[in-house]
Amino acid sequence: MSRLEIPAVGGCSRACAFALAFLIGVQGARADVASDLAAAIVVFPKIVVDTSTPRQTPRGRVDTLVRISNTSTTGSVSAHCFWVNVNGHCQNSQGTICNPRLFAVSSPCGPNGYCEPGWQETDFDITLTAGQPIAWLASHGEAPCDPQDTSGLPCLPLPANQGSRIPGVSEDPFIGELKCIEVDKNGVPVASNDLKGEAEIIQSNDGQIDVEGYNAIGIPSVGPNNGNQTLVLGGPNAEYSSCPNILILDHFFDGANDPISGDAVTTELTLVPCSEDFQHQAVTKITAQFLVFNEFEQRLSTSRPVTCFDDVKISNLDTRSSANSIFNAAVMGTLTGQTRIRGVPDSNAQCTAAATPFTCCTGSGTGTCGDGATNAIGMNNALLGIAEEFRDGGGSAAFNLHFSGTRPTSDFIYLPCDSGNCQ
Amino acid sequence: MGSVNGMIWRWGWVTAVVLVICFGQVHASVTTELGSSILIFPKVVFDSQGLIGDKVDTIIQISNTSNSLVYAHCFYVNAAPVDPTEPVSALNPPLWLETDFDIFLTKQQPTHWLLSAGRRVDQDDTSCSKTFHDCFNAGFDPGWNSTIPPASDDPFVGELKCIEVDYTGSPINGNHLKGEATIVNLPPAVGDASKYNAVGIVGLNTNLNSNNSDNFLCLGGGVTDDCPTGAEYAGCPSTVILNNFAESASDPVVDEFGNGPSRVSTEVTVAPCSEDFENQAPATITVQFQVINEFEQVLSGSTSVTCWANLKLGDFPVFDLRFVGTRFAQTRLWGAPRDKAGAGFVAVSEEYHQQGSVPVVSRAAFNLHGEGDRVNGDVIHMPEGQ
Repeated sequence: MSRLEIPAVGGCSRACAFALAFLIGVQGARADVASDLAAAIVVFPKIVVDTSTPRQTPRGRVDTLVRISNTSTTGSVSAHCFWVNVNGHCQNSQGTICNPRLFAVSSPCGPNGYCEPGWQETDFDITLTAGQPIAWLASHGEAPCDPQDTSGLPCLPLPANQGSRIPGVSEDPFIGELKCIEVDKNGVPVASNDLKGEAEIIQSNDGQIDVEGYNAIGIPSVGPNNGNQTLVLGGPNAEYSSCPNILILDHFFDGANDPISGDAVTTELTLVPCSEDFQHQAVTKITAQFLVFNEFEQRLSTSRPVTCFDDVKISNLDTRSSANSIFNAAVMGTLTGQTRIRGVPDSNAQCTAAATPFTCCTGSGTGTCGDGATNAIGMNNALLGIAEEFRDGGGSAAFNLHFSGTRPTSDFIYLPCDSGNCQ
Repeated sequence: MGSVNGMIWRWGWVTAVVLVICFGQVHASVTTELGSSILIFPKVVFDSQGLIGDKVDTIIQISNTSNSLVYAHCFYVNAAPVDPTEPVSALNPPLWLETDFDIFLTKQQPTHWLLSAGRRVDQDDTSCSKTFHDCFNAGFDPGWNSTIPPASDDPFVGELKCIEVDYTGSPINGNHLKGEATIVNLPPAVGDASKYNAVGIVGLNTNLNSNNSDNFLCLGGGVTDDCPTGAEYAGCPSTVILNNFAESASDPVVDEFGNGPSRVSTEVTVAPCSEDFENQAPATITVQFQVINEFEQVLSGSTSVTCWANLKLGDFPVFDLRFVGTRFAQTRLWGAPRDKAGAGFVAVSEEYHQQGSVPVVSRAAFNLHGEGDRVNGDVIHMPEGQ
């Protein structure tokens, strides 16, 4: 258990407390966002589900196994989690799910419709006992075990888990993210780094299986947490580590052949913003800059808006025509590349944690901060992400991106305000 | 009274500074996401005949994350058993043969090579084009004074370590390297693949260059005979944490889609942090497991690892579904005893999901989580003249 609470030491002077606080501060400054360390916030950037027959998505029948465990072997922990559904829906048929990130050539919305982007969250609580691992299918969620249930689906076995009920994702097919935030028994965010997780995206068809997995990205707590609904990631008064300044992706250029299997390789990149406003359901729009280096040390660049979530083949990041993309092997000339991805900080005013969030960051840049806040700052717009490689002969692999640097300003996660628990 | 308060504040400052000096740098950990000075690929495999496992090969990718030229000295360690058709045993020990080579990477340069083929310095490599997609080796060849050699044997199972050095070959704390390994089935099998990030060991105090550039690389720990200036690199984790399926548990997605029966098995590959490339002396460590199931029940076990090991969890009853009792478990692994110098290790895992009565299998690799830093350090002893 790695709680960062300053103990009450009888008779300890302010100086001792200062020393401890200083130590905690310094330690905190060294804690980085990481997918290989336990953390207070775990982010699963990509969750996909399509259990329908026949399949409704190009990927086919697929589900995501989410695994979370409590790395503390001494005490239970609770977490408040958010499914974020980013399915699009046809403007002319709200029941029809579509992908707003795809070009309209195969849109299910027909010639007279378009795909409206969506961003809808569903939140729930889980409690894990000391050292307990749990896992669930995104399509089904998880409930306390029922002796009468013979489905074989994962369930929560302990009475101590009784407060937990994990809903399945809200639609099928589904694409989106999952965020879990460590809280105490009252649902208040705490300064403790006990959560780790993985996601396994599993396709299973008759005679064919394909499994890929990635680690959840952990954002560690770095200092005292004031327990309110605004989580401050980096910058002044940070409660959690700053999100990375730059994401680094090593990849095959699309269309190049895998030197082992001979299959053409494509890479899909999933990006999510560090900042999220679950309270106001306000979407975050970020400009992502991409610097692409090939094995000749040649550098090209492109940029693209990311609204809440992006999941796209890298050779469609900059063009509709993959063959002309700077992420295409035929354009870049080499098999592999290194791409540096940076969310551009927003120069528009952004309210600090003290103010009503997002009241002045809607993109116009002309708003004023609410609640009398005067200390507006630039919006951080940091990104997180994962990548997947696909081989056209079958076989995919997911992996975590690398990070470089942090930012002096903050990202914010605004939690929904429960009645009686609002600050 | 004022002077007493002043004294208390002064002591507070002194305490803070001492605490920071003592503990501040301990918090630098191994990483799978940051540019590092030492890269460890715990599992690289080439087995064209399937003598040890599947017929697979490995693609190595390394990038320079900086804007300056970066050099690295790399070591393949082949830990295949003497008789690859038989499992490792006292009578069939791992070869532990190392082959070393140099690479250099220009500004932000990514590079790659195949374990089975290496990469020759060849100006005539054909670039990718609209009509030519088999363009491996296109780009600046990373070999420095030499080619990148292919795997020294077939089968080759073992690890790759790359250490950032300066142009004279002396180790430096640059933290400019990142890497990935992709293990791909050889044709005609379906091109299944698993991929993991190289484990990075961060050089400490890069601005002060705490590296004394000798042949002993000190990973965590304090001042010793081999490490007269103390730690030069981050220490290895004191505990490695794996979330795993109990052995022979079923895959719930396969069950959900009615494509069963199914079963999942897991391998954990352990590479020691301490290595003596100078004397070719393989280290032996004891790896302790603590398995926690979904009922919060704890089981434990241990095994001995010399130099490198690919542990099939199915070989240990403690991981079997019948003993674990639940489908999922959290396993904590550490080198024992915890305070023993040289007992640190890093690890990756691979899961194999098997579906159907005529089994088809897919694999997925994971980087494992780390916890804490070992109090006593590890040492990599590079050969003289590097």
